[in-house]
Amino acid sequence: MDKGNLRRIVLDVLKPLEPDIVDLVRKISTLSGVDGVNITIYEIDHHVENAKITVEGEQLSYQDLKDMIVENGGAVHSIDEVAAGKRTVEEVVTHQD
Amino acid sequence: MKKNHNRWSSIPEFLEEIQTYNQIVGISKIARRYFAMNAFDGVLTTIGVLVGNYLAGVRDLSIPIQIGIATSIAMGISGLWGAYLTESAERQRELANLEKISLIDQSETSIGRASRFAVIVVSVVDGLAPALAAFIVLIPLFLGSWINNPILSYSLAGGIALLLLFGLGLFLGKVSEKSLIGYGFKTLLAGILAIAINFLLGAE
Repeated sequence: MDKGNLRRIVLDVLKPLEPDIVDLVRKISTLSGVDGVNITIYEIDHHVENAKITVEGEQLSYQDLKDMIVENGGAVHSIDEVAAGKRTVEEVVTHQD
Repeated sequence: MKKNHNRWSSIPEFLEEIQTYNQIVGISKIARRYFAMNAFDGVLTTIGVLVGNYLAGVRDLSIPIQIGIATSIAMGISGLWGAYLTESAERQRELANLEKISLIDQSETSIGRASRFAVIVVSVVDGLAPALAAFIVLIPLFLGSWINNPILSYSLAGGIALLLLFGLGLFLGKVSEKSLIGYGFKTLLAGILAIAINFLLGAE
């Protein structure tokens, strides 16, 4: 069954300070289908930090991405953006925005 | 999708995992501290054994050898047990704190595994360091039949002990990135003090 071509996943993640984001970004980039990853820290606490993780590629697996984050001690707080299909569709700005 | 992040199947992968563990919990830093501290203990305790036997007039070297071996085994087990209990308690507390903050079970994550690995490494280092140091100091006694002079064997063992202490000081100096010689003399002073006090008490 065709599961659809997941191309972009943006997650809000709470993670421990170690392993650091350099290590985590490298590990995520090794997952199959991943073309590129960006991790941005927007809040740092004593033991943990909040990160926005953006993954782009072809045939991404959300489950494997989540497993990788959990394996490194993180917790997915929310899925903030996803894109799938033959091409990546950007969010459209409407009059209400 | 390939799941290669949970287990290692080759030596480079294993080494990479160890490096990650070291990065997460700083194993090398703690092991270094334990090594220096307990090797220092091992050398000073063996100095005590040597000086005690010398002052008691023991010239049959098999006696200080047996006492030295028994003492180093006891020190090794003490180091292993002590480090295992204190480190595992400390690590469990840290992990529980992290679990409380992150709201996820960390026991099977790389952080949980790194914590367990750190406990093993630190315990082994803590157990081996004093035992190994004691064995090195006892070498001239093992070679007693070859040296054929008990007083010389005691003196050589004492010299090795002081050299080891000085070496440990240099190691600590290198760690602190301060004066190597300064640290060397500080640890050497401890050995000289131990010998001097023992001789003073023995002379009474």
